Amino acid sequence: MIVLEAHDVSKVYREGPHEVHALRGVSLSVRRGEVLAIEGPSGSGKTTLLSVLGCLLTPTSGRIVVDGREVDPHRPGQLRELRRHAIGFVFQQFHLFAALTAAENVIYGLNLRGWTGEKARREAERVLRSVGLGERMDFRPRDLSGGQRQRVAVARALAGPSSLILADEPTGNLDGESGARVLDLFRSLARSEGRALVIVTHDPRVRTIADRVVTIRDGRITHEELEN
Amino acid sequence: MIDLALKMLLDEKARFAATVLGVGFAAALVLVQVGIFAGLLQNASITIERLDADLWVASRNAPNIDFGNPFPERYVDRVRSIPGVERADNLIVWYAFVALPTGAKESVEFYGLEDFPAWHFPWDVTSGDPADLRRGRFVLLDASAERRFGAFQPGDFREFNGRQLKIIGRTRGALSFTTSPIAFVDYRMAQLLAPADLDGRTTFLLIRLAPGADVETVRAEVRKRLPYNDVYTRDEWAARSRAYWIESTGLGLTLALTVGLGALVGVVIVGQTLYASTTEHLADFGTVKALGGGNRTVFGIIAEQATFAAALGFGLAVGLTWALAPVLERLDMKMIVSPMLMALVYAGTQALCLAAASMSFRKVATTDPAIVFRG
Ligand SMILES: Nc1ncnc2c1ncn2[C@@H]1O[C@H](COP(=O)(O)OP(=O)(O)OP(=O)(O)O)[C@@H](O)[C@H]1O
Ligand SMILES: [Mg+2]
Repeated sequence: MIVLEAHDVSKVYREGPHEVHALRGVSLSVRRGEVLAIEGPSGSGKTTLLSVLGCLLTPTSGRIVVDGREVDPHRPGQLRELRRHAIGFVFQQFHLFAALTAAENVIYGLNLRGWTGEKARREAERVLRSVGLGERMDFRPRDLSGGQRQRVAVARALAGPSSLILADEPTGNLDGESGARVLDLFRSLARSEGRALVIVTHDPRVRTIADRVVTIRDGRITHEELEN
Repeated sequence: MIDLALKMLLDEKARFAATVLGVGFAAALVLVQVGIFAGLLQNASITIERLDADLWVASRNAPNIDFGNPFPERYVDRVRSIPGVERADNLIVWYAFVALPTGAKESVEFYGLEDFPAWHFPWDVTSGDPADLRRGRFVLLDASAERRFGAFQPGDFREFNGRQLKIIGRTRGALSFTTSPIAFVDYRMAQLLAPADLDGRTTFLLIRLAPGADVETVRAEVRKRLPYNDVYTRDEWAARSRAYWIESTGLGLTLALTVGLGALVGVVIVGQTLYASTTEHLADFGTVKALGGGNRTVFGIIAEQATFAAALGFGLAVGLTWALAPVLERLDMKMIVSPMLMALVYAGTQALCLAAASMSFRKVATTDPAIVFRG
């Protein structure tokens, strides 16, 4: 089953008189349980693509379909709706809430998705255990290592029903071992829970967990290969 | 639901404490100033409120209780015969100089009535009996006079406009906006103290209505019979006396300035700290949006923080005001913080804190949720 489709997506940033063509007709699709890696040099448009796919940014042209629903860029409410119910994010900078414990970070994410009370707490505990942080639920981010923080972020993205997880350089701020651990987690969770996973990265290790790797250069997909 | 707004505040206690402190001092400034002003203003009309009269007759255009103009005392007879009037008496409010034992002279404002008990006046007598005033050259003096006149006891004599009067008792709480201490003397004695102005004359006429009598009907009849005087209800007369002092002293403007300044300080402090905190937390707010929260969710967080700051700041302000009250009392300054004033200042604090938060709202609304992907 296809979770995400992008058809001929372009994005032009306008900065005063300048135009930056960050994406020039990108098409791709991702299935349930599939891990797609996006590689490319700095400035090639990877983050822009991820923002567009994640309904955080509206494309200048082209179509996006998430979970079978056509994204209408003129309805910000629908974009929010899709982010809330279908998409989870993992960021290079983690972006955990410093004031909340690990469990609260995950619960708050669920609250925003409409899960509350006992249901949210149980789901948070489940995902935190599955990322190996069952013993660290009441720790604040500042009391966790970088790798542990990123695992909390992964837990937050996985909590709830989202069928699509988008990660931008999730291992960028992690040392080798923590990075490898997070990637392992990603692979096993994507497979076992049937989520689609798109990872943007410079990290060559990502190839080892990816089903497919696309390379993007100057806003275009230049290369696509199947792994594993 | 996780209360992110509150947890963020608690995570930054120092900044939040500074905000609350700022709001607290600003709100306390307003409470204390308006309270002192209300206390002063109450002096301007306290005798009117305490005198048991429903209608007041004053000389034409008399601005307040302290500045009445004498008019013939016989007028009272025209009023006494009006149906619906239970009792009508002359009241003199005038000034005299008091010679102090030190040799200095101070002014005193005296109230002269024939029958003080009939008007339940003065209302707080700590020693002596107002009914005795008519029996001789006697005077009742308010305790607040001690600050100007020095200590005095019942049995002491003082010279009022050259006449020796015996102090036969003390009252409390009889104050005037003019700050002249208040004395009570018999009506005839009042005229003797200033014969040039008051011989055969009075400054006010008090009317008490019979039960069931209609105020406006009686007032219309009084106006007909005394066409060269003004007739006020008690509330009108009290309001007029207060309004005079508000306008003539510029106190109203001073007060407006103080309140405005307090509000401004509060808004700047809250706006500034909220804005700084919002800017620092932009990535957090972007994350909230990325996770599916809308602008409403984010505004909600900031508004809740502003509301907490306002509520705690107001609490602090009440505490500060309460702590200051005994100090002011020792200085003989009355501060009246009515529930109405509290409610208004609370509402104002909340409104201004939200207004201050609106600067941050704009910042957040224009923030692109895609910032979460950038460093
Ligand atoms: N908000 C923006 N306004 C204008 N131009 C932008 C904006 N965001 C990105 N760009 C431009 O679009 C192009 C693609 O940027 P993007 O961030 O998508 O690249 P990237 O592949 O993620 O790079 P990196 O690997 O360094 O993160 C770049 O030339 C960048 O300067
Ligand atoms: Mg990037």
